[in-house]
Amino acid sequence: MVESLLHPLNIFIVGLAGGFLIPLFYRLGKSWTAAAFVLALAAMTVISGYGLFVLLNGTAPIEILTGGAKPPYAINLRMGLAESIFAFSVNLVALFGAAYVVRERYGTLLLYLLLVMGIQGMVMTRDLFNLFVFLEIVSIATYGLLGLRDTPASLSATFKFLMATVLASTFFLIGTLLLYAVTGILNIDELIAKRASITGPIGFAALIFLLACLLLELKPFPANGWGLDVYETARCDVAAMISGGVSAGVFFALLKLLPLFEDQLELIAGLGAMTFVFSNLIGLQQTNAQRLLGYSSIGQVGLLTIAVPLLYRLNADNAMFLVVGGLFINHLFAKVGLFWLAGYVGRERLQDWAVLARRPGAILTFGILIVAISGLPPFPGFWAKWQLVMSLAVGDLHVWIAIVLVGSLLEAAYMFRWFSLALNSPAEADGVPADLFPIFGMALLLVISGYIAGKLAGLAALWAYMPLAAGLVLHMLARLPSRMQCLIVLVLVTVGGSQLILELSGISLLFAMLLLAGGLVVSIACLARTDHRSGFYPLLAVMLLSLPALPRATTSLEFIFVWELITLSSYFLILRRTEAAAHALQYLLFSLAAAFFLLCAFAVLHTQTGSVSLSALRAAGPDSAPVFVLLAIGLLIKAGAIGVHVWLPGAYAEADDDVSALLSAVISKVSIYGLLVGTYVAIRSDVSLNLALVVGWIGMLTTLAGAMLAARQDDLKRMLAYSSMSQLGYIVAAIALMSHLGWVTALYLAANHLLVKGILFLVAAAIILRTGKRSIVELGGLAGVMPVTFTTAAIAIVAMSGLPPLAGFGGKWLLLSAMMEKGWYGPALMTLLATFVGFIYMARFIQAIFLGPRRATHDALTEAPIPLLTPQILLIAGIFLMSFFPKLLITPLSNAIDPQFASTLVWQGMSLEMIYGYWNPVPVMALAVIASTILFGLFWLLQQSGWWATIANVEIGGTRPSLYKGFRAVFTTLTPPWAGALWGGLTEATTTSAERIRILYTGNGQTYNLYILYYFLALYAAAGVRHLWVAVN
Amino acid sequence: MISRIVLTTGLLLVLIGLWGMLTHRNILRIIIGFSLMGTGTHIVIVAIGYVANGTAPIIDRALSVSEAISRAVDPVPSALAVTAIVIGMAVTAVMLAYAIRLYESKKTLSIDAFTESKW
Repeated sequence: MVESLLHPLNIFIVGLAGGFLIPLFYRLGKSWTAAAFVLALAAMTVISGYGLFVLLNGTAPIEILTGGAKPPYAINLRMGLAESIFAFSVNLVALFGAAYVVRERYGTLLLYLLLVMGIQGMVMTRDLFNLFVFLEIVSIATYGLLGLRDTPASLSATFKFLMATVLASTFFLIGTLLLYAVTGILNIDELIAKRASITGPIGFAALIFLLACLLLELKPFPANGWGLDVYETARCDVAAMISGGVSAGVFFALLKLLPLFEDQLELIAGLGAMTFVFSNLIGLQQTNAQRLLGYSSIGQVGLLTIAVPLLYRLNADNAMFLVVGGLFINHLFAKVGLFWLAGYVGRERLQDWAVLARRPGAILTFGILIVAISGLPPFPGFWAKWQLVMSLAVGDLHVWIAIVLVGSLLEAAYMFRWFSLALNSPAEADGVPADLFPIFGMALLLVISGYIAGKLAGLAALWAYMPLAAGLVLHMLARLPSRMQCLIVLVLVTVGGSQLILELSGISLLFAMLLLAGGLVVSIACLARTDHRSGFYPLLAVMLLSLPALPRATTSLEFIFVWELITLSSYFLILRRTEAAAHALQYLLFSLAAAFFLLCAFAVLHTQTGSVSLSALRAAGPDSAPVFVLLAIGLLIKAGAIGVHVWLPGAYAEADDDVSALLSAVISKVSIYGLLVGTYVAIRSDVSLNLALVVGWIGMLTTLAGAMLAARQDDLKRMLAYSSMSQLGYIVAAIALMSHLGWVTALYLAANHLLVKGILFLVAAAIILRTGKRSIVELGGLAGVMPVTFTTAAIAIVAMSGLPPLAGFGGKWLLLSAMMEKGWYGPALMTLLATFVGFIYMARFIQAIFLGPRRATHDALTEAPIPLLTPQILLIAGIFLMSFFPKLLITPLSNAIDPQFASTLVWQGMSLEMIYGYWNPVPVMALAVIASTILFGLFWLLQQSGWWATIANVEIGGTRPSLYKGFRAVFTTLTPPWAGALWGGLTEATTTSAERIRILYTGNGQTYNLYILYYFLALYAAAGVRHLWVAVN
Repeated sequence: MISRIVLTTGLLLVLIGLWGMLTHRNILRIIIGFSLMGTGTHIVIVAIGYVANGTAPIIDRALSVSEAISRAVDPVPSALAVTAIVIGMAVTAVMLAYAIRLYESKKTLSIDAFTESKW
């Protein structure tokens, strides 16, 4: 009984009968119509859901026979696993979407029901002509629904859409009939089985006609102006159904018929690639929300059209399931959600989406949808893209990987720019009464399907979701006072983080501890803010927990997953300030590009070793040089190396002050950890030494350029940002040394930089908080009013500069020793030079901010608040610990590195004891502390006695300003803005070409018809040439 | 022979329809172009199923099962043609309905007047 009620054939009975009965119900009353309508949709959902459930439990596909005869004498339909997934997800969307149409006239309900039924018919039918009929049912229902909006623009667009789709379906009809003329078969299964007999010019033409229709219905570039116009002008819920539902039906038809097009697989993929890349390119210039979504929709379907034929060619059936399912479901839920959101917002121009800014719920949903559509974790698109890249790499299809990633980057660019527009304009919220719950529904479905897809992709570890869970908890506590939330974050991260690092050992443990502790200590500074920071604490929790989760990753999938979580959470944290929007986008795009390089590296590694485990990096063979190069490029981008550093100063400088401290002190270490992990490969590969030297030089050039750029800066935070770039250069160079000593140095420098830059950015935060100024030219003499801040800054500067007795001296000492040991005299020289340039900007930092004359307006300033001072003092304790007892850190470092190097590298230099041993820091430090105490006491006495004011106002060394100006001129000459010009030029070229290409879309329906004809002819010619080529060979 | 002529006629109609649709600016003429294309397609369908000198595919005393394969006209294309005609009519009706609404919105039927959305 239940079986027969839930038989898939009932979908059509319900759909058709519902369609015919709705006018009758209308006679009974409006509520009857609505109830019948929702009931019919729910029934279809339940039936397809039951089908999915049964099929997941291993039942054979359900065959639906009609007319009492077996195929080919009657039409048959099939509900297999793929069919049930498509049908169920489309039904779910339709059911949620019912909320928008349920109050409409009964004609609308009828068309809506027919549309949903028709889509499922296209998915399930196994008869070619029946497919045509369902295609027409879907088309006619769409034409009707499009007429719901009768603005002139929308009517014109609908007519263009009508003409184009009628042309396409004529192609389908002709193709079907020609195929029947050649084979006498209409049954799809039989056609596929006997595809070898489809020969001759008519058989060939038949296939091209069919293919042309399916491709055209998927709106390929450049014959897709009509599709874009409809997406732009249709009512949002109708556009949503076209983008998600209708595309699903047509795409499934292509999937079903793909075996017939075995000769044209590359051609299909190529056309998909053209659509994917150009749609996303032109999307960059789009300012209308719905048209932007149109470009994105077309692009996403293009991506599917790339993936399917290539995976079919590779016989990658397992991958096909995850890739197609993941990409499709991701596109369906996210795009439908975005279209509905466009209806909810009701603003055409992207800038006007700022009305969302004051609605945290809507913004959160918007963020989820944007992240999902960009193919980022934890949503299904991410896992699908991961699997796609892995599979393509196995087939050596590297160009295709590049196409997929470039297109994805372009799409992320316009999607996230849109998001920042919605966040960052100060528009007032106004009441738009519309249902938000279906959009929430889509977001929720994305989360659920993302989790399932993650499992399918091989991410079984629950700990990877811990950061997101913590974020969710914080999101629920958003109504608590700010400081309370911050404390909860700190507690949660402490507990969760220690859970994460419990099982780690070696380098991973050290890094996890460093990242966790550093993040926690610096985050104490967030307690200084008591204002309501909407969304800040959940993001902070996600980020702080992702940091120690990264070293926990054992497979490349886990690594990329956590990596992207860090990228996303830090991006959203930077984005919180209006001024930071452009810089945040730059940060995100460079970070994504970096992640894509890592992804490629892992894909190549997977192809070479057959493993996704990170330990494969150590087992990689001598041909793994490409892996190392790809990893190094990605990680150097993320580390802000010279040439790709353009994202760094803006992001660090324009973020919230406490976020800047986290970015520079803690998050920058993520790329360092990646480099340490990735360098294993280079040890094995035969070209490692040259490559490592290249990386070493890049590191040192970064250091020098960063120092000079810092020395040119008047902006307090930008100076620190460039300083951060410079210091990271040292660490990169140290890693590139690829020796035991080099690595100990790298870790030592990394720890030192974390401590120092944490302090300095918090000092900057304190100064900006108290003075409201960022330009150091406007500061001066603050030592008198903020003595504690001055002291911490001075200690941090000494520790960073490499002056004895603090830790920086040890770091420099180790670095120089390691370089000399390797014979890297050039880099060693650069180190000395960079250290000198470093002195200049660090001296200027202290001199210009804390010494010299103080402005009268700054006389009444008070010391920084306790929450800002506490982390600084803790970090200073860390510096002292490292300086006093370096062995406390160096011995575990050395032990952690040893086992990994023991077998691979013979380090025959002096033991660490000997290098570090003869400089015993304890007595030196004791002396330094005593001296400092005496000096501090004197300073205190001076201040007490009132002499200080006189001294502080004295120009220190009357020549210094002019000396600095001379240096500044030299540095300005030496650091021409080439990198900025290069990236600026690239952006300019991209947008200009987008602007040129989109002139294609004239808006004239007749021109669009001509494009369709040309597209068909080009397809015919291309396939024909290929056909002849195969025949000749 | 007959089927050749019919087939050629059908294909010519399709091409004429295509030509008309691409050259005429008036929306009604464009719709006529589409109709011609549709009709041409239907004729092609029927021509494909025709068997020279064939009879109606009704198996009775006049036509035995064994003879049916060689002498009867293939019924499937005819059945498809009927379906296609129905669909074609519906689509034409929708097109005409939109033509009326387009005319109401701008008081013109020139396709060049309806280029609101572009780029």
